Amino acid sequence: MTGRLHLNVNILNAGVFGGSWRYPGTDALASYGIEHYTAIARKAEAAKLDAVFLADGPSLDPSIRHRTGNNLEPTTVLARIAAQTERIGLIGTLSSSYNDPVEIARRLGDLDYVSGGRFGWNVVTTAGPVAARNFGRADEPDHGLRYRRAASFVEQVVATWEGRTELRSPQGRPVIVQAGGSNDGKRLAARVGEVIFSADQDIEKARAFRSELRSGAADFGRNPDEIVVLPGLSTVLGSTEAEAKQRRELLDELLPDAYARDRLSGQLGFSLDGLADDEPIPAHLLRDPAEAGGSQTFNRMVRDIIDRERPTLRQLLKKLSGGGGHRIVVGTPEQVADDIERWFRFGAADGFNVMPDVLPSGFDDFADHLVPELRRRGLFRTDYDGTTLRDHLGIGLPDARAVDESSLVSAK
Amino acid sequence: MSGEAVKVVVEIAVGEASHVSLADADAIVAVAQDVGVTAIRLVDHVGERQTLDASVVAAYLAGKYTDIGWVIDAPTTHNAPYNLARRILSLDRATGGRAGVVLLAGVGDEVSDAAAPDRDATDPADRWIEYARILTQLWESFPSAALLGDQENAVVAEDALIRPIDFVGRFYRVAGPLDGPSSVQGRPVLIATEPAKVGWSRVATVADAVIVAHGEINNAAAELVAALWSAGRRREEVALLARVNDTRAVPDLDGWSAAHGVDGIVLAVEGGAREVLSAVRDLAPQASRGRPGTLRTEFAVPDPERVRA
Repeated sequence: MTGRLHLNVNILNAGVFGGSWRYPGTDALASYGIEHYTAIARKAEAAKLDAVFLADGPSLDPSIRHRTGNNLEPTTVLARIAAQTERIGLIGTLSSSYNDPVEIARRLGDLDYVSGGRFGWNVVTTAGPVAARNFGRADEPDHGLRYRRAASFVEQVVATWEGRTELRSPQGRPVIVQAGGSNDGKRLAARVGEVIFSADQDIEKARAFRSELRSGAADFGRNPDEIVVLPGLSTVLGSTEAEAKQRRELLDELLPDAYARDRLSGQLGFSLDGLADDEPIPAHLLRDPAEAGGSQTFNRMVRDIIDRERPTLRQLLKKLSGGGGHRIVVGTPEQVADDIERWFRFGAADGFNVMPDVLPSGFDDFADHLVPELRRRGLFRTDYDGTTLRDHLGIGLPDARAVDESSLVSAK
Repeated sequence: MSGEAVKVVVEIAVGEASHVSLADADAIVAVAQDVGVTAIRLVDHVGERQTLDASVVAAYLAGKYTDIGWVIDAPTTHNAPYNLARRILSLDRATGGRAGVVLLAGVGDEVSDAAAPDRDATDPADRWIEYARILTQLWESFPSAALLGDQENAVVAEDALIRPIDFVGRFYRVAGPLDGPSSVQGRPVLIATEPAKVGWSRVATVADAVIVAHGEINNAAAELVAALWSAGRRREEVALLARVNDTRAVPDLDGWSAAHGVDGIVLAVEGGAREVLSAVRDLAPQASRGRPGTLRTEFAVPDPERVRA
């Protein structure tokens, strides 16, 4: 740990809350235009953040009727942001299951070159049948297979970058970013991840997760200090505590109910139809996350909340607020800075992947009020020290392991 | 297309060594935009040498130059159709409907090949037409009219208007729909090159524009007309572009184009940045000026609705 936090902003279309696009004063469809992304990136660069982050999946989310979705391909968005910024890192999500390794190695390596060494690749295995059907498959490859492919896929891509003699970027090659709280995901992170996104509600669990990753990386012969662990953090800010709480309550009211139910149902792997709103979810419906299909991380997150708090269905829907299960902090910039500082000093995080409640307004408040507060406490940079994403993250260029290209696992 | 100014597309290969550098490309685009060039074509490779990824370069340069169109070359090889469709449409939306793709015939990609409906299907020309149809269908699968943003009634989009394509061919099986709405020009411009290789009859059913070599120009216009007639389309629906290496080959651009039934040229200068810049400057008196409309408007080809009508 360097004594300084790392901060990314996740430009999750209209914001992390399901009702974000309906928030008063918000242009409902702004996230369908490119300027939404480039403007937030310029703001993030002015605030000296490490990077902007784009989540992605190669499919249309079936919840489109009730909530905005990611709708622009990340490498094209990041290349445009690169043209309109100088320093800020550019992290994009691309699937290891549904891309050709030769093509993606070229495109991502070229994006790193064109951006002057600012690109990071968030490797995801892409859960669910909706994306699978866009690539000739009836359903997602099983969890273990997806992760075996991801490991062989990333190593092949990294080896291709390492073999470049021309068009090498100033940071050598893109940063490998990975998220995944499942056992398969943690193993992949320990093996190849340089920035790790996590999703923990609890500070002790988050510290344990970070320690486990660091020792896992050491087991693979890596330097644990070259791993940056960034939990997702959903922020709801107000100039007073009451104002922040009001904002949160309004977001709950704006959350389209049908969307919240569909999303929770997807995370748990069963239908909520017929369940009583004022009773807890019956225990017999809850299956082991590893057997439920889809994303194990978010299934586990929701299960933890259910086990810990025994909420009624209505309370659970409200607690998640359509945001998917990342930790939500509500308060003044000082209060949220206290929370961030506590997690950071406790060793639960090297920084955060910040998911503002509503975009752009929630990020404007973050950049204008929270970042200066973190700076006053000496927790965040006042200017960039270098030009590349590796510079910002304080990580070097580790050796790439040699790979046998015939070892690529097919996602079929 | 008669009566329209002849369109000029400037072709560049961006990379290292035998290609122009990214900085040189930037300078070329600046001049090209200034003199009223319609679009920049970014090729995928020259001989065996790959360029920088054309979609990345186009998206990057389009972030700096907003008054020019972008034509990117992309092979079927290594590109699953859903991924390529998304990238091109994202670029098209980000540029206000100023993007097109030159779809190059090739082989498959590692993801699609593992799930190919017919393992015995191998003909690149058959693959090309199947791929082109998937692209055009995906590009229209989420009509922009479906986006409502109705905050009051909590409806982002009228999902009944968004349709899967459920495409099942010999090479690909793609459900759709695409993740984002259609662009202001209806869909990106689909361009064919080396039509004899893919077959004029296939090209004529889907292409919005066709690029032919300078040496083939005498037959091309007639071939195109005949193939379009068989496909039930009119000559006005497709732009015919002749690829020339030297502006001196076409001293009177308008007269030459009219004589050959050509709607525009793709200027592909052999040499480095200096030669390209010099040729682009030579065009100045011939190219039309002013802020361009969509790439379809510039090529004077109809939007998809009119194609269907």
